[in-house]
Amino acid sequence: MVEGHVTISNLEKVYESGDERTKAIDDLSLEVPSGEFLSVVGPSGCGKSTLLYLVAGFLEESTGTIAVDEQPIEGPGTDRGVVFQDYALFPWRTVMGNVTYGLEQDGVPKEQRRATAQEFIDMMDLDGFEDKYPKELSGGMKQRVALARTLAYDPKILLMDEPFGALDQPLRELLQDHLLEIWRDVEKTVMFITHDVEEAVYLSERVMIMTRHPGTKKTTIEIDVDRTQDREDIIMSDAYTETKNQVWQSLREETQPEAQL
Amino acid sequence: MDVSNKLAVDRSDAINVGKSIYSLVIVLVLWEIVTQLGMVHYYFLPPLSDIIVRFYEMTLDGTLVHHGYLTVRRALVGLVIACVFGILVGVLSARNRVASWFWDPIIEVGYPVPVIALVPVFLFWFGTGDLAKIILVAIGCFWPVAINVRNATRDVDENLIWSARMMGTSDRQLLRKVIVPASAPGIISGIQIALPISLIITFVFEMVAGGGGLGHIEIQGVRSFDSVQVYATLIAIMILGFILDRALRLIRFRILSWT
Ligand SMILES: Nc1ncnc2c1ncn2[C@@H]1O[C@H](COP(=O)(O)OP(=O)(O)OP(=O)(O)O)[C@@H](O)[C@H]1O
Ligand SMILES: [Mg+2]
Repeated sequence: MVEGHVTISNLEKVYESGDERTKAIDDLSLEVPSGEFLSVVGPSGCGKSTLLYLVAGFLEESTGTIAVDEQPIEGPGTDRGVVFQDYALFPWRTVMGNVTYGLEQDGVPKEQRRATAQEFIDMMDLDGFEDKYPKELSGGMKQRVALARTLAYDPKILLMDEPFGALDQPLRELLQDHLLEIWRDVEKTVMFITHDVEEAVYLSERVMIMTRHPGTKKTTIEIDVDRTQDREDIIMSDAYTETKNQVWQSLREETQPEAQL
Repeated sequence: MDVSNKLAVDRSDAINVGKSIYSLVIVLVLWEIVTQLGMVHYYFLPPLSDIIVRFYEMTLDGTLVHHGYLTVRRALVGLVIACVFGILVGVLSARNRVASWFWDPIIEVGYPVPVIALVPVFLFWFGTGDLAKIILVAIGCFWPVAINVRNATRDVDENLIWSARMMGTSDRQLLRKVIVPASAPGIISGIQIALPISLIITFVFEMVAGGGGLGHIEIQGVRSFDSVQVYATLIAIMILGFILDRALRLIRFRILSWT
């Protein structure tokens, strides 16, 4: 399978509003091979969301290129699915209506798309809330609907912007494991933004650490833990702890630059 | 004007309505007492009871029903035309550069113009018939609809548009599937603001130009020194305005149950 390979070369993004120019991404190059689970960590405001929106095709790069399977991207496409930091659910659609939207656009027959949507609604532990509107849900529930909505139409590349940020610990762990299951079963490429170092190391095969604003790739760290083990064993393993400290150290240099002087 | 108000349903709302009705009742009772005692001239302010009796008679003999129908028909036809054009122009000028370049200045200048000032001009151009009235209502109601629709459409959260795009929504579908539903609250607010304007314009035009309608029979009352008829007609227009406003709120409540 050679699908979902992301190539980012010399990417630069400058926001322009009126006279003001904000450089958000500075000369970033990155390969995300097909099927890789990559986490992105970096100080707040360093350009993580911007990077994700660029790959999604929502924003246009100032210079540089982004290609999926060697094809430069042209705007958004159903091959890339985003889970937004602030959910971005359709408030006029119910939970079911939101989760079926992508399948509806794809022309999947009604019965079938409801069945598929139900599967993901159940997975997100949202059964019984199918007919509720987003305003009737808590932040964590909205986040889960957003996850279900993006997973349901099965994009080969998942672009996730702190998707578990609004969840409590047990739910977060549950959904982390669901995500890993999906990733293993259907071989997706994942770019996963988080500010939680433990989450990044637990979930991903590789972590990219970004520098402070304007962000660029500082380094990437391979994570070599045996994922056939249970969560406890992974967390107790030396490999996990070591990598975690390494990532943490690298990130700390960015968030507290004065500390390294 | 608070147009987003839900129907008064819960208990505290009911109490508030009750309280506001008390004050109304006191004013009405005072009115009756003052006029029955002959403290004001009959022509200036007749007793409330006389007006209610006349209102009742004029309803029974069909006068108010017939003229009320004429007024409502003109107002609503004009309002519907205004909505069609207002929504079209509002959406276009929010989503399209050329349309925005063309319409934005027109809307800014047109919105604050008191359309009533055009009544004499319209008498020249279109005479005194229904057409003149309907067109003027349409013009007067166009601005609040267009401006509200434009603002609501322009302010649709970009993330919603992005989510739709990533799930395969084409530019053409975007309007129907995202932009219109997302801006529905603003669109309906515009219509709610335009409703009383449609009644005002119809009413004034009828007073000036005749041709039937509640405005016409009110001014007839003035001309024949029949102040009871004037006030009875006034009650009819108040009731109409109230019913139409409530109906729109009900529609809003139904359509926007998700807000
Ligand atoms: N629409 C915009 N216009 C101008 N500047 C912007 C815009 N969006 C983001 N920025 C700027 O770009 C930089 C990166 O923002 P971005 O949202 O990508 O950060 P982030 O890494 O996702 O932060 P966080 O972890 O807090 O979510 C910030 O300095 C921000 O001020
Ligand atoms: Mg962000």
